[in-house]
Amino acid sequence: MHVEMRGVGRSYGAVRALHGIDLALPAGSRTAWIGPNGSGKSTLTRALLGLIRHEGEIRFDGVTRAEDGVSIAARIAYVPQVAPRLAASVGELTRAVCALRRRPVDSVSACAAELGLEPRELASRPLRTLSAGMRQKVLASLALASGAELLVLDEPTASMDARSRRAFFRLVDGLPRSTTVVLCSHRLDEIRSLVDRIAVLAEGRLRFCGAAEQFLRQRSMSLIEVRALDGAEPLLRSLGFERNAMGWWSSVVPTTERAHTVRWLASCVGDQLVDLLAQDLEDLGERPIEHGAARCELDGCRSTEVAS
Amino acid sequence: MRRNAVLAVARLEFAEVVRSRWILFCAIVHLVLATTFVTVGMHESTVIGFTGMGRALLSFAHVLVFLLPLLALTATGQVVNSAKDDGALELLFGNPLQRGEWIVAVTGVRLAILVVPLLVAMPVLAILGTVWFGEPMPWTWLWRCLGVSTALLACYVSVGMLISTVVRSTSRALIAMLLVWSASVALIDFGLIGAMLQLRLEPRFVFLLASLNPVQCARLALLSAAEPELSTLGPVGFWVSNAIGPGGLLAVGVAWPLLLAATLWSLAAARLRRGDLV
Repeated sequence: MHVEMRGVGRSYGAVRALHGIDLALPAGSRTAWIGPNGSGKSTLTRALLGLIRHEGEIRFDGVTRAEDGVSIAARIAYVPQVAPRLAASVGELTRAVCALRRRPVDSVSACAAELGLEPRELASRPLRTLSAGMRQKVLASLALASGAELLVLDEPTASMDARSRRAFFRLVDGLPRSTTVVLCSHRLDEIRSLVDRIAVLAEGRLRFCGAAEQFLRQRSMSLIEVRALDGAEPLLRSLGFERNAMGWWSSVVPTTERAHTVRWLASCVGDQLVDLLAQDLEDLGERPIEHGAARCELDGCRSTEVAS
Repeated sequence: MRRNAVLAVARLEFAEVVRSRWILFCAIVHLVLATTFVTVGMHESTVIGFTGMGRALLSFAHVLVFLLPLLALTATGQVVNSAKDDGALELLFGNPLQRGEWIVAVTGVRLAILVVPLLVAMPVLAILGTVWFGEPMPWTWLWRCLGVSTALLACYVSVGMLISTVVRSTSRALIAMLLVWSASVALIDFGLIGAMLQLRLEPRFVFLLASLNPVQCARLALLSAAEPELSTLGPVGFWVSNAIGPGGLLAVGVAWPLLLAATLWSLAAARLRRGDLV
């Protein structure tokens, strides 16, 4: 489904949440909407889903909701970030959604099983008695089984365990290539696995829209943690490492600098080094990182160390 | 409006209500009302004849017209705003569902939950009471009672739906419900006459206010059939009763709450259609 947004705006009282967003989502594109809290991601998602009134227009394959709302809604599926704590059972919710979409109930079972749910066991359990992760899997199963042409995902795996997340990514990957996917997320693994385009929102404005790869390279961050003897403290402090309550020294560096930093620490701290961990952070940095800056800083320190 | 969509949402809403034990609560309230009516009414009528029965009906009518609006308001006054808060509307309207379909289904289920137990419990217990005590049942009064109660419930279900669509916060909605219920109960005959004397209000204005109150309309429609005296109907009721007769009172007691129900529900539906769902 091709989605065309023109001048989509919205105010909440005196606060302008969206400033006339113009954005096109070509059929089959997979786009992540990212931005800090209050940037307008949720408002734009809700406008896309027709949940709120907004200025401007949104066309789905050239048609607006005002022209044919029900047909458009039937071609869209949504996984909200937080699943409601309904008293109705999983089976009752599934039957209702399948009836609205005119789809067989069995179509949901396969997706649910793939995500690690036991549809028969869960059918009689009220949704509110399930854990947040299981509720999210139920909603993900309903959306993935809908056969929708536009899939809107709002932090869909935030409450899922690692195995279910991988299964979810596989299921989305297995959707027809014509399916347009919109992902609203901060999570790096979701963005890496699900999208090829990124749209950045800030203060209700569209700041960037383009290929995901370059964008991610500029913003991915890694956490370096070092456990060292006391003799290494001045060096680590001078590099901007901070000591936590457990005695580990930590610093965040661009992912592109991770390997270099690890090698450098291993060689400079030497026999003062007790342990070293490096891991990618889940969240993206808000601003692009100047590549090479951290490396220069490290190299500078090494020069100082050597000179002293 | 698509019938399958309305039915799908109605089934889900019914499951929601059943699991949250609302239907059980309503059934118990109606059962207690009906049992009280049959046992006390029948027992008194066997002891002191028709006067006792009339007195029982009088008390019962008052309990009904005061309790049913409260029940209807609590069943509906937080439906829309709490569904917005917990994300239920966001989830449901992520599917092909029109707002009109949703509000029809939800209102229908909530009204049925309130009305059906009453419609079942009262006649069943009346028959049992007749068999048990061997006294003839005032069937005409019972049907009148069911008709008026249904209209009153429909009216306050619509008031509740309107409150839940207009008032965003659930706690404020609770306050609004209590205010509406208090005003409905206070602005009946005696309260208004007191206000008229205290505030030197124009009598016609007071009479009009009393007649516009659906609780007062229902009360008059019920009492005029049970004990149509000045002491029970009150000055306004007695005047209106003399003016339009018991038949007219019944018609007003059913028609006015239903008219209000239709108007207020339409406002609630329009508000839901125009407003945000989150």
